[in-house]
Amino acid sequence: MNKPHIPKSISQRLASYHLANLSPAWVELAPNTEQIKSIGGKWQAYFTKQPKVNTNISDYCDTLQGMLPIEYAFELPHMQLKDNTYTDIIAFEDVSGGWLLFLDVTNNVLELQQYQQAANELHLLKGQLDRTLSRHIGHEIAQLAVDGDIQLNTEGERKIISTLFVDIRGFTNYNEKVDAQEVMNTLNAYMHEMLQSILDNHGIIDKIMGDGIMAIFGIAASNNNHVEDVFQAGLTIQQRIKALNEKRAQRQQEVLGVGVGIATGEAVLGILGSHERRAFTAIGKHVNLAARLESNARAGEILLDEVTLNALEKTPHHRRVNLELKGIGKVDVYTVVLD
Amino acid sequence: MIQKKICILGAAGVGKTSLTAQFVYSKFSEKYLSSMGVKIDRKVVHVDETDVNLMIWDVHGEEKYKKIPTSYLRGASGILMVIDGTRIDTVAVAEEVRQRVLDKLGDVPFVYLLNKSDLQDAWSINENIMQQLQVTGSPILLTSAKTGDNVETAFSTIAKAMLPT
Ligand SMILES: Nc1nc2c(ncn2[C@@H]2O[C@H](COP(=O)(O)OP(=O)(O)OP(=O)(O)O)[C@@H](O)[C@H]2O)c(=O)[nH]1
Ligand SMILES: [Mg+2]
Repeated sequence: MNKPHIPKSISQRLASYHLANLSPAWVELAPNTEQIKSIGGKWQAYFTKQPKVNTNISDYCDTLQGMLPIEYAFELPHMQLKDNTYTDIIAFEDVSGGWLLFLDVTNNVLELQQYQQAANELHLLKGQLDRTLSRHIGHEIAQLAVDGDIQLNTEGERKIISTLFVDIRGFTNYNEKVDAQEVMNTLNAYMHEMLQSILDNHGIIDKIMGDGIMAIFGIAASNNNHVEDVFQAGLTIQQRIKALNEKRAQRQQEVLGVGVGIATGEAVLGILGSHERRAFTAIGKHVNLAARLESNARAGEILLDEVTLNALEKTPHHRRVNLELKGIGKVDVYTVVLD
Repeated sequence: MIQKKICILGAAGVGKTSLTAQFVYSKFSEKYLSSMGVKIDRKVVHVDETDVNLMIWDVHGEEKYKKIPTSYLRGASGILMVIDGTRIDTVAVAEEVRQRVLDKLGDVPFVYLLNKSDLQDAWSINENIMQQLQVTGSPILLTSAKTGDNVETAFSTIAKAMLPT
């Protein structure tokens, strides 16, 4: 026979199982008032003095001021009635009047707080990093504009440039395993190597995307052909990351690899966005290609498109790979053989 | 004495707890401790020759997977909506929360606080956003919980808006 209701002995068992650590206290209220009819349970956990029958409950519990009579059921989770304690307050009515139930959920909440803290800190720190970097980028572009090297018209200027994408492999996974501050330190360490390699080779940081960078070459002044610069930046990134990883391995720290994608072609350069928050950006087919190459590059790998490879004065050791790229189709690309 | 409940709302880390601490205890700390649930503080403000006993509900930050329960809004007469002036994504969060408040409480007074105004270099609020906020008709104040700039004004502005005219 299938009984629709939970037998009383089970619901009692369930209640005592769940309530055991919650020090429950309850207050019965006269119908449609906030007047106390009776109290029960561990009231000491929630009120500094014992609530008296026929007085108002909000005289003992500040939090409830302006909230009563109950009218319709409500729950106030995680109320800090005292410093460092958390109480769930549950209010409902039945035929005889109103009920207020107080449950001490401090242990539970303190545990949740740890997770919350880690997540929020990471969020704030990421915001700071993004800002520092985009400020840096802003200054560089502004200087170029002042010097007349690029025109900051909203229509955009056409130019042959090289674009480099680089991204940390497996960072998202790593992110979930470790605490926020450590994640930030690690991200900063890898970002530093990548940014320095780009800046040293006359690249401009176009965007920072989480754990990756887009950089463009052929705009900032340089004595070299921008194809040489971009290739050198790619090599430097892999060398510096390798050196960083050797140091980290010695210190028993987690090591991560980066993938690099490079392509060359015509792009429209321009300023996007409104007056206060303009962003400089490059738009063009080869920019998408570079992004796709980067997402196909494995840790430690540099992938070049054909235009870049052919434009290099001294052709590097390479292997041809035929790749099917999302949104582009089948293309021959070149993986640089590093020694 | 007139007593009024206000809720201080917004995304995580915008400075709700810091603003309340600066207002009530004249204290500021650089250290960040994510709030859980609600902490209630009180302070009397004097506006237009009236004393108003403010009951300030400092609520945890709104998050994608942890929305502010509307039960916290019960009995509130005014809202301080805090935006972090250095983080543009906290504007959309404020807008989402505002809609929820309007659904629950109807047309209560709001005051927008663009907080962390001491961080000039990192300031990210542009004219578009200012216009978008102005459309709501609510007062907008630049505040700093760190320097105390406009903090008193923030609370007296909301107190004033809640008094019968
Ligand atoms: N420079 C500066 N920092 C501030 C200001 N207000 C808050 N902060 C800092 O920002 C961080 C978060 O502040 P809180 O007041 O805890 O933020 P909250 O909105 O209460 O955060 P949740 O409770 O998690 O939602 C802390 O590190 C504060 O020191 C301000 O006006 N200026
Ligand atoms: Mg807080």
